[in-house]
Amino acid sequence: MAIVEFQNVSRVYTSGDHELRALDGVDLSLDEGKFVVILGPSGAGKSTLLNLLGGLDSPTSGKIVVCGKDISTLSNNELADYRAETVGFVFQFYNLIPTLTVHENVALVKEITKEPLSATKMLSEVGLADHAKNFPSELSGGEQQRVSIARALAKNPKILLCDEPTGALDSATGVLVLKLLLRMAREYGKTIVIVTHNQNIAKMADTVIRVKNGKVMSVEEQESPASADDIDW
Amino acid sequence: MLIRKMLRTAWSYKAQFISMILMVMLGVGMFLGFNMEWASIEHNMFSFFDDCNFADYRLVSESGYTDDDLGKIKNIDGVTAAARILSVNVDVKDSGGDSVALAVTTDFSVSSFVLIDGDTYDGESPDGIWLSDRYAAENDINLGDSIAFTYRGIEISGNVVGLIKAAEQMICVRDNTQLMPDFKTHGFACISPALYESAVGSGYYPQINVISDLDKDTFSEEVNRALGKTTVILTKEEDLAYSQAEGEVDEGKAMGSILPALFLLIGLLTMVTTMHRLTAKEKTQIGTLKALGFHDSRIIRHYTSFAFFVAVVGTALGVGVGYAVAWFIMNPNGMMGTYMDLPEWRLVLPGFCIAAVALIILLLTLIGFLSTRQMLAGTAADALRPYTPKKMKPMLIERTKLFHRLPFGTRWNMRDIVRHKARTAMSMVGIVGCTILILAAFGMKDTMNAFLDMYYDNGLNYSSRIFLSEGVTDEERREVIEKYDGDCGGSVSVQIEGKTVSLDIYNITHDKIRIMDESTKKIDIGDDGAYICMRLAEQFGLRAGDTVTVSPFGTDDTYTLRVAGIFRSVSENIVVSGKYAGSLKSPYTIDSGYTDTEKGDIAASGVIKSVQSKQMIMDSFEGFLSIMDTMIYMLVGGALLLGIIVLYNLGAMSYTERYREMATLKVVGFRDKKIGRLLAGQNLALSIVGIIIGIPLGALTLSYMLKTLASEYEMKMSIGAGSYILTVLLTVGMSLLVSLMVARKNRKIDMVEALKGQE
Repeated sequence: MAIVEFQNVSRVYTSGDHELRALDGVDLSLDEGKFVVILGPSGAGKSTLLNLLGGLDSPTSGKIVVCGKDISTLSNNELADYRAETVGFVFQFYNLIPTLTVHENVALVKEITKEPLSATKMLSEVGLADHAKNFPSELSGGEQQRVSIARALAKNPKILLCDEPTGALDSATGVLVLKLLLRMAREYGKTIVIVTHNQNIAKMADTVIRVKNGKVMSVEEQESPASADDIDW
Repeated sequence: MLIRKMLRTAWSYKAQFISMILMVMLGVGMFLGFNMEWASIEHNMFSFFDDCNFADYRLVSESGYTDDDLGKIKNIDGVTAAARILSVNVDVKDSGGDSVALAVTTDFSVSSFVLIDGDTYDGESPDGIWLSDRYAAENDINLGDSIAFTYRGIEISGNVVGLIKAAEQMICVRDNTQLMPDFKTHGFACISPALYESAVGSGYYPQINVISDLDKDTFSEEVNRALGKTTVILTKEEDLAYSQAEGEVDEGKAMGSILPALFLLIGLLTMVTTMHRLTAKEKTQIGTLKALGFHDSRIIRHYTSFAFFVAVVGTALGVGVGYAVAWFIMNPNGMMGTYMDLPEWRLVLPGFCIAAVALIILLLTLIGFLSTRQMLAGTAADALRPYTPKKMKPMLIERTKLFHRLPFGTRWNMRDIVRHKARTAMSMVGIVGCTILILAAFGMKDTMNAFLDMYYDNGLNYSSRIFLSEGVTDEERREVIEKYDGDCGGSVSVQIEGKTVSLDIYNITHDKIRIMDESTKKIDIGDDGAYICMRLAEQFGLRAGDTVTVSPFGTDDTYTLRVAGIFRSVSENIVVSGKYAGSLKSPYTIDSGYTDTEKGDIAASGVIKSVQSKQMIMDSFEGFLSIMDTMIYMLVGGALLLGIIVLYNLGAMSYTERYREMATLKVVGFRDKKIGRLLAGQNLALSIVGIIIGIPLGALTLSYMLKTLASEYEMKMSIGAGSYILTVLLTVGMSLLVSLMVARKNRKIDMVEALKGQE
């Protein structure tokens, strides 16, 4: 069953006379519980797609339906609530709050979510229970990314959105983070969407969507995705 | 190319740039304004004194001086000019109680006047009267009108031939109970000796005014030798107009140092923190320029020019503000215009201010230079590495369990405060400064009102004051006073160690005259000693039980008074009961009666010169109060402006610094309002702490201000609950307003853009 539905979605940026069609009439449907990878070169529109899906941005035209709800016409506050309840974000640069401890960064979501998961539990799930009282600046990049995964999952969202989650990490750490992401998504039954230009990550996906020049070029279902250990990084 | 970059960069940091410029403007403006105020008073007054040949010494003798005496004085070596002088208050005939200070000088090169309109002075004029232009204007008197005065029952009449201003009457008050001039009822006039002598029939001149460079001791010796007797000599410093003028200048100097210094200090601090942030944020660009091959000196010049630009623009605007502030205080229709009667109102910029302004520009530029040099240190690669703020360390308080129970927002704000200590300290200075200024301003008003209320309710327990005519017998005076069930009193001018003060003698049987002690409780005037006002007590180190020697003006007699108590007074005076004065065998004339009978119910009679109602006395304070109100509104306005600029600047800075944090919160799903509340919470918490610190400091500042003003008024500090509440409300309101202004920016956060950048 489709959890995400894009219907003829376009996103046009205008600056002066100049017009940039970042997304151009995209139709797309993602199934619940799947691991989706969106692949494409720089400027293809993949981040725009993710931002629209995450409620960070609204389409110029078209309709985006998530969990049966049209999010393309929501107000600012409704979008904030959508971000709080429905989606979890993991960024390339972690985006933790530097003045909050690791535990507090995760527990933060209690302020806005109706049914958050325990911050302590999430931290031990990502293996950082011992670092709960540290500040982000005291952690390595991989550790910080794990905190951000814990934070995203603690909201108990339907969909986990990741923008180049391993982009700032060395490859060994990147693999660890990817494995963690996958394990957590399966364990908690989340739909997971990763945007990347790394072909290897695509090998692990249930669905691979290729984007170029603002259009979806292909949607490929993989019957038996590879495990992270089998891929030559 | 780099100039284009500077302008574009300045535009992108416009909030910071505008606030820096505004702070420099305010600081420089207040500094110049207040210093120009006193410099202008000094210049305009003292050049007025010069134009009027203001006398350096006044010789006083009740028996009067002859032409012969004048000759002897003129012969003293070092005396430039001398004239016999009469200066008395006379009544204006058919005017309903108006009076003028009438002056006659035998030599126009001493104690003269400045002609505004009409004929020049003529010492032989048989009927010419030169009248105060302000009195003439208030009473619709024109050149050519005839006017008559009554002096000791004698009528002196003539035509107004000139409209004048005189330095001796620069602050034109009837006597020292009147705080502010009222040109409707009291002015001054000058007539020729010819008119005076023909009207009075004799040439009685109780005063000789002298212009001389000699010092007081030498001059006294010479005069005593020349006249062959001890003479009362007053220096110009003892003259009311002159001492008031000097008092104004001193007051201006005090005002010119405390408040503007505070504004300047906050301005400089804002500049330091803002420049530092700015260069820190520009660090990568500095590195890029360095990597491209720009010399350090070129880069430093570029960034230092930012500071120079701010300094020059801010200072230029500040000079404008300074002139505006000074003009506001110093113009003929402005605050000082109701007080002083000056022919010239030029604004004067004291020389040291030019140097100070140059120094400020230099200092501000130096701040820019130092901030940039800090960022340039090391190799190009070092400079390219982004500026890393200090690492977070857990605070001591975090070890407590309580801390972890605090809401997330509180913890976030507490850490943010600790992390950005400089920013927090600056906000503190802004809020504390704002609170101090507002509280001191309102407190000043409360103090004055409390003083007047007390004076009205306790000091003046009568409805009318009857001024008795001069040419009547003691018997007639007593009759009038008994008729209206009044108390009576008189004044004698006495000298204490060369200082002239008023000795007020009261016969109190009906409790109409009251004095109050330092804690504003009523004192019963006993018959066993004198009561000294607080200022004199402080000046001469007197306490109850001490003795003090006074000498009635113009005599060699001395009396030793026992100090029975200290009291609060409107003027500098000593109060004794009639019985105590009698026991000293000191002669005095009863000149006033005090009664509960209303002014309208007092029948006119030859014995009564005029009647003043209690309301008229209080009205004389009105002008003074309105000047004070203006000052207070200016101060409060300035304080709020200061607070808004400082807090907004810091808010905008904190907004840019926490942009990513807030974008993250927004992405995670926080609503704009909630983020706004977080920021407002921090501002509010800082405001509360600032107010708690500011209130006692405000009270302290007020007590300091009252002390510097103590030479003019003896007021007890009093700050009403309303003032405290208003101060808190205004400060908190200001802080919330700024939070609201900053919070509006939150909506504009571009989440996508903010999260892309490098950590």
